[in-house]
Amino acid sequence: MASSKLPPGHFSILYFAAASTFTGKSTEHMPAPVKARYLFGKLEQSYPGIGEKVLSSCAVTVNLEYIDIDGDEAPHLNLMIKEGDEVAIIPPVSSG
Amino acid sequence: MAPLSIIESLRQQIASCEAQLQDLRQQLAEAQDQYQQREQDRWRQVTTNDPLTHDMTYGIHDDFRSEVFAALSQVEEEHPVSRRWPLDRSEYKRYGRQLIMPEIGLQGQLCLKNASVLIIGVGGLGCPAAAYLVGAGVGTVGLVDGDIVEESNLHRQILHSTVKVGMSKVDSARVSLSSLNPNVKIVPHPSRLTPESAISVIQPYNLVLDCTDTPASRYLISDTCVLLGKPLVSASALRTDGQLIVLNNPALPPGDTRGGPCYRCVFPKPPPPESVISCGDGGILGPVVGVMGILQALEAIKVLTQNAQRPLASASSTPGNMTSEPLPRDPPTLLIFSAYANPMFRSIRLRSRKPKCATCSAQASVTPEALNSGSLDYVQFCGSVNPVDALTPNERISVENYAKIRIEVNPFTGMTPSKDSHILVDVREKVQFDLCSLEGSVNIPFSTVSGTSSNATNGTDPGNEERGWVSALRKPSDKPIFVVCRLGNDSQLSVRKMKELGLDYGGQRWIGDIKGGLRAWRENVEPDFPDY
Repeated sequence: MASSKLPPGHFSILYFAAASTFTGKSTEHMPAPVKARYLFGKLEQSYPGIGEKVLSSCAVTVNLEYIDIDGDEAPHLNLMIKEGDEVAIIPPVSSG
Repeated sequence: MAPLSIIESLRQQIASCEAQLQDLRQQLAEAQDQYQQREQDRWRQVTTNDPLTHDMTYGIHDDFRSEVFAALSQVEEEHPVSRRWPLDRSEYKRYGRQLIMPEIGLQGQLCLKNASVLIIGVGGLGCPAAAYLVGAGVGTVGLVDGDIVEESNLHRQILHSTVKVGMSKVDSARVSLSSLNPNVKIVPHPSRLTPESAISVIQPYNLVLDCTDTPASRYLISDTCVLLGKPLVSASALRTDGQLIVLNNPALPPGDTRGGPCYRCVFPKPPPPESVISCGDGGILGPVVGVMGILQALEAIKVLTQNAQRPLASASSTPGNMTSEPLPRDPPTLLIFSAYANPMFRSIRLRSRKPKCATCSAQASVTPEALNSGSLDYVQFCGSVNPVDALTPNERISVENYAKIRIEVNPFTGMTPSKDSHILVDVREKVQFDLCSLEGSVNIPFSTVSGTSSNATNGTDPGNEERGWVSALRKPSDKPIFVVCRLGNDSQLSVRKMKELGLDYGGQRWIGDIKGGLRAWRENVEPDFPDY
C-alpha cells in the first residue's frame, strides 16, 4: 500500500475498507495543496457517488491525526493539506 | 437384504444418538456451571461492605483481601496457611508467567481477579478475546449472544468446535472457557442485546468488549457504556481489514471533557445500510478477526490493570472503579489493521470528546430515560436494506421453471431444450463463480455490470472489459438472457442495467432474473449444488 514515490506537489491518499472497494484502489496521489473543506468535493469529481455512499460516514485523518470536517462549524475545515501529507479515508467497519 | 430399512434404521439410530449427545452437552454445561458457582461461592462467600465482618468469614471478598493481609502481617500472624497469600497456590502457578511481569504483578492480577468483563458477541472477535481474558484470570466474564453455532463459523470462532454445531454460542463458549480456566465465573446471557435490556445487562460489569457485527449494536453499546460510565473496547473486522478503539476511557460522565471519546465522536454518522457488508457476504479471514479479538483482550487487560501500577499508597482504592480520578493516559487511538498492506498497522491519534457529541458531550440527547423508553431506535438510525424488488413478475422466473427450460420446452419462447437456447449469465464475482457454477453459464461479475456506464458519452471511461461484455451479449440477439446470482438481488439489478444498455432491443428480447438465485436452485432443484 505504501506508495513508492510521491511526485512533487502531491499528497498521498489511502483508502480503507469500503473506500478502497468503491475506488478500486488502496492508495493514490492528488495535487497539493487542498483545503480540507474541498477534499470530499475533489473525491466526488473523481468518483461520482462516493460522497453519499462512503464519505458521509468516514473518519478522515491527515498524517495519522483525526480531523473533523463534518458540518459547517467543524474545526478543521480550513486545514491545508500540503505536499507530502498522507490523508486516510477510514469508513467504519462494523462486522466481526 | 432390505437396504431401505437398514438405511432407515441407521438414520433413526443416528438421530437418537444425536439427541442423546445434545442432552449430554446441555447437562455438561449445566454441571460445569454449577461446579463453578460452588467453587466461586467457596472462595468469595461474602461481599459485604461492613469492614468489621471481614475476618469473621471464611472467604474474604477479594477486594479487601490484600488490604486485610497487609494489615494482619504487621501483627505476628497465627493464621491458617490457606489465608497467608492473596492468591491460591494454584493461581500463583497458573498465572506465574504474567505475575512476574512488572506490567501486571500481584496487584495487577488482583485487579483482574476482581474485575468483571462483558463480552458482547461470541463470534470471530469474542471467541479469542474471551479465551485470553479467561486465561488471564479475569474474575467474571459475561457472554452475550443469541446465535447458534453454524458450520461456517468454525474457521474463525475458535471456542466452537465441530460437535457444537447447533448449540447456542454462549453455551458452547461456556463449555470451552470452563475447561480452559475453571476459576473464572462465566455468566451466560443467551440473547441479543436490545435497547431495553442494554442497561440492566451491562450495569454489573466493569468493562465491556464490543464484539458484535452491526452498526446498530455498536451505537447501542457505546451509548449505554457512556451512560453507565463503563470503558469500552470496540473492534471490528471484515475481509482483510480490522479496526480497534478503546472508547470512553477514562469513563467520565457526559459533559466532562476529560473523558475518553465514544463511538459517536469518532463515527457520528452510520454508514449507508446498503454499504454495510457482513462477513457472510464479504468474507473474512480467520486470523484477521482473530488478531482484532486478541488485541481487544490486550487492551482490556491494560485498562483493568492500569491502577495496579500506581504507588502502593493509593493502590487500595477499589480496583475496577474506572471513574476514580483520571490518570494521565496515552491519547485515544484508532488502530487500523490491513492484513495485505505495508505496514499492516496504522495508529490514528483521535481527539478527545466531540464538543457536540449526541452521547458524551454537555449537549447530549442520549439519556438513560430515552434508552429505556425505547425512543432511541437504533435500527432506524442505522437504516435497513429492503430486499431488492426491482423487476416485474414478467421479468422473473422461478428456479423450478428455469430447471424445466434446461430440460423441457421454454415456456417463454417455445424453444426445445438445448444448451444454446438461451444465455445464462452468472453475476457473482469471479472468485465465487470459480467455486461452483451451473453448466454453460457465463460469468460477468456484478461489479463489472454495475460499473458500466449506461451513457457512452459519460466522462468515466467504461474500459475494454466492460465494453466487451456488452457487445458479447449483443451479438446473439434472439436468445433470451437469464441472470443468476447467489441470493437473487444482484441479478435483478443486473437485469435493469442490461435493459438500460439496450440489450433487450426495446423489449424484443427477454431478459430476466432467476428468483432466489443459486440458493433457491440448491434448495429446490439441485441439493448437491455447493452451499458456501
